[in-house]
Amino acid sequence: MLEVREVDVAVSGRRILTNINMDIKSRELHVVIGPNGSGKTSLLNAIMGLKPYEVIKGSITFEGSNITLEPPYVKAKRGIVVAYQLPPTIKGLTTGRFVEELMKRFKVEGSYAEVLSEILEVKDLFTRYLFDKMSGGEKKRLETFLTLLTKPKIALLDEPDSGVDIESLNKMSEALKVVLNRGTSIVLVTHSPHMLKLLREHITVVHVLYGGTIMYSGLYDEVIPYIEKYGFSGALSQFVRV
Amino acid sequence: MDREALLKALSKPSPYGPDVELSRFNLGPAERERIEEKEVNRISSRLGFGKDLLRKADYLQVNESILSRSMREKLAERGAVVLPTSEALKKLDWVKEYSWRLVRPDTDKYTAAASLYSNELGFFIYVPPGTKIKDPIYTCLFITRRGYAQLLHNIVIVDDGAELNLITGCGVPDQPIGSLHVGISEYYVGRKSKLTYTMIHAWAPDMVVRPRTVVRVGEGGEYVSYYVIYSPVESLQTYPKVYLGENARATLNSIVVGESRGVYDVGSAIVLEGRDSAGEILSRNLGRGSSLIYARSRIEGRAGPSRGHIECLGLIDDDNATIESLPEISSSNPEAILTHEAAIGKISEDLINYLLSKGFSEEEARTAIIKGFLNIEEPKLPQQIREVIKRTIEYIASRATG
Repeated sequence: MLEVREVDVAVSGRRILTNINMDIKSRELHVVIGPNGSGKTSLLNAIMGLKPYEVIKGSITFEGSNITLEPPYVKAKRGIVVAYQLPPTIKGLTTGRFVEELMKRFKVEGSYAEVLSEILEVKDLFTRYLFDKMSGGEKKRLETFLTLLTKPKIALLDEPDSGVDIESLNKMSEALKVVLNRGTSIVLVTHSPHMLKLLREHITVVHVLYGGTIMYSGLYDEVIPYIEKYGFSGALSQFVRV
Repeated sequence: MDREALLKALSKPSPYGPDVELSRFNLGPAERERIEEKEVNRISSRLGFGKDLLRKADYLQVNESILSRSMREKLAERGAVVLPTSEALKKLDWVKEYSWRLVRPDTDKYTAAASLYSNELGFFIYVPPGTKIKDPIYTCLFITRRGYAQLLHNIVIVDDGAELNLITGCGVPDQPIGSLHVGISEYYVGRKSKLTYTMIHAWAPDMVVRPRTVVRVGEGGEYVSYYVIYSPVESLQTYPKVYLGENARATLNSIVVGESRGVYDVGSAIVLEGRDSAGEILSRNLGRGSSLIYARSRIEGRAGPSRGHIECLGLIDDDNATIESLPEISSSNPEAILTHEAAIGKISEDLINYLLSKGFSEEEARTAIIKGFLNIEEPKLPQQIREVIKRTIEYIASRATG
């Protein structure tokens, strides 16, 4: 479905990602892990085509079409949607109104919205301005909800777990399982061992991003225990040995 | 007030807004003229009031001609009165007690001109005690004549326990007209009564606009206003002031969209005179073209306990536009809790990027952000009025991207 081939990404002419390769099929869950600054957010934003990230080499194809240079909203219409790590506040625009707009835009059935909003417990936020005066956990749940609401074919989720309590993590994982079962593929950037454990059975592959490139891709059991034991740099030397 | 003092006040500038020579405009009575319905409908659609205004409006004044009084009989059955102010002053002796009581005729040259030359044109509305008029009353004040001074005096009295929803649209056809609009408005909201007042302005790049509004709200009463200006003007200056009695409430919302080279000096003031009174001023200012917007707001806490809050936000949508936000809070009572927040910014790339990532094109993202920014959720306004405002905001936002 989505193929990322030998992609290099630059910001203001400076290369920040090198030789990225990913092959994501329907209903797959790809996890991207890596230390801070390794380029995880840049990877998702570059796939989405957001400024200032620029693909300077390689290609991104989706369902057979080359979408490397397509603007983000065209990609969103194709079914690729990114969830922000830190979504901005939009004062004056109520969450409820934005939800209505997304539902209209993506032809979302009420029953689907209902299921998601119940799992992620976001209904109470609908009267507030978008991301205004919300706790970290509320913002994360809401942004995950809004992203999944669009019925994406591929959801790119950027640390939906950071700063979120265990209960919210459970809800988030439950919501992800629902959309995976509906056929959505997910690229999940995360730092949370708890969330990984909750989703373990669904994880297709774990990519370890280090220094702007994917150093290793493997199954959960091939990667996570080593990271937990040796940390990123230690584990990478283990992978090389494997 | 004697004529001498008023004539002297004709040269007294307002402390706010550009000073304008009144000699530019014809202050004398106008000749009778034929008003084309087509022209009325053109202005009406600019204001979002739709067609057929001649039959729909409760009070429609074009220049000095009063054209519509459709609801008058229906309202009279309930004891309510809608009349030209001049007629009300002649027919109802007690109205004099309310005339030029809240606004001093010698406040500045514009009030003086209205006092001397308006012939008390404008609308008078009276709602008797306990009468709740849910359907909005539409009053429309239009100008189609060039170089003309439309001088008006409006009086609204909502008696104890009564309710009124008033919508006033003021406008000109979308073309140069070089006229002056001065509207003196004195509104009295009685004990436990409620007035919601929506005013929409659609002017032209050479219009001078100087409304003067003072409102007094009695014990337990409520006043909610919603002001929208979204057309070019030469200059517009207004600073409505609301006095609140015991346990009275006021919310003043304003949306100012600065266009081309216009100067928009728009203020709102609330005086907390009674115990347990509360006031809120919410203003949204969108700077486009090379417009200059002064967003003034002031809450005075004279009694306590009382509460007041100002929220003044500006969005600069053009490199040449300027917004000056001037929130003031002043307290002479330790139990008055007054707060304010003000911010001016431009449409951030981050917001646009966020909406792009959710399937909005750049144009749609800008429109959505502007629509969201201008949208002051005011649940206290009746549904019909919210619909009018919604249409207006959609119109403004749609023009954001051409």
